[in-house]
Amino acid sequence: MKSMPDSWRRETKPHKFCPGCGHGLVLKALGMAMDRLKIADRTVFGVDIGCSLLAWDFFNADTIQTHHGRTVPVIIGAKRARPNLVGIAYMGDGGGYAIGSQHLINATMRNDRILIIIVNNTIYAMTGGQMAPTTLKGQKTETSSRGRDPKYEGFPLRGPEMVASFAPEGAYVARGSVSHVQRLARYLERGLENQLQDRGISVVEALSTCPTNWRTNAEDTWKFLEKEMTDYYPVGELVSPFKRDTQKEAADLETCH
Amino acid sequence: MSITFTKNKWEGPKGVFIVSPDLCKGCGLCIEKCPSQVIDWTKETGIYGTPIVGAKRIDRCTACSICVLVCPDAAIDVEKNKM
Repeated sequence: MKSMPDSWRRETKPHKFCPGCGHGLVLKALGMAMDRLKIADRTVFGVDIGCSLLAWDFFNADTIQTHHGRTVPVIIGAKRARPNLVGIAYMGDGGGYAIGSQHLINATMRNDRILIIIVNNTIYAMTGGQMAPTTLKGQKTETSSRGRDPKYEGFPLRGPEMVASFAPEGAYVARGSVSHVQRLARYLERGLENQLQDRGISVVEALSTCPTNWRTNAEDTWKFLEKEMTDYYPVGELVSPFKRDTQKEAADLETCH
Repeated sequence: MSITFTKNKWEGPKGVFIVSPDLCKGCGLCIEKCPSQVIDWTKETGIYGTPIVGAKRIDRCTACSICVLVCPDAAIDVEKNKM
């Protein structure tokens, strides 16, 4: 197994993310998927504002950094102008579910042929760890010092479930986690395949970590991700246009870490 | 242009465990994920001036490569011995 995917740009490593940040793992999974499909030379990679913008020099691919939450329409524009390109919109939960949620909903409604990756770490990380739409019930953040109270602040948003509820035919919606990098890479690969086969929109959420703003050590970081987050945000495919081979899937899950 | 990173190596019975101090930021995620408790902190510091990891109990290493997979910085590599 290669530690660094070929599509990563080696000159810019070490990358700019904090120690223990899940972005590195999501981008590793994306790099693995891009390597398998050999599409790095015709990919347009769009990054949002927030921690995700630190991936602006991450890949050997054309990259654009856009306004807050506007990655989706920018990538759709590129894809409509040059349909042979592979469009990837990469953003955090703030960009995807708060500021840019209208774009997510309208892009899904129009079934645009792009891959949207939303990295969910339950907070706004770059601005210092404020409460996000995905902050869990009772979770303490900079702006919810007594823990998120659903009575005043509402319940955490399950993004892929929201998208899946009105996903048109041909759409692919899934949720992966950075504690299972190979499975996440498989979901991203299917999302890209869905786009290459011109079927429809692909939305993949990746549960991620933020030790800096969660104020956790390595042990508690994994525990929070694998227990509390995965309990509320179940991992798996929600909508898939691919024919299901349940036996193969079970075998895959056995071998995935 | 090909970039190379410095490598610290530990040779074990099943393979070679490699850590690059140019890449390791000392997050410790691999220490928790190693099923054989091979990895531990060393006294060396990495790119961010934080302690980096090493294979303290290399004799237990089964070269499963879970550490390679969970390293967000791609600082770890495992070369399996050919049977």
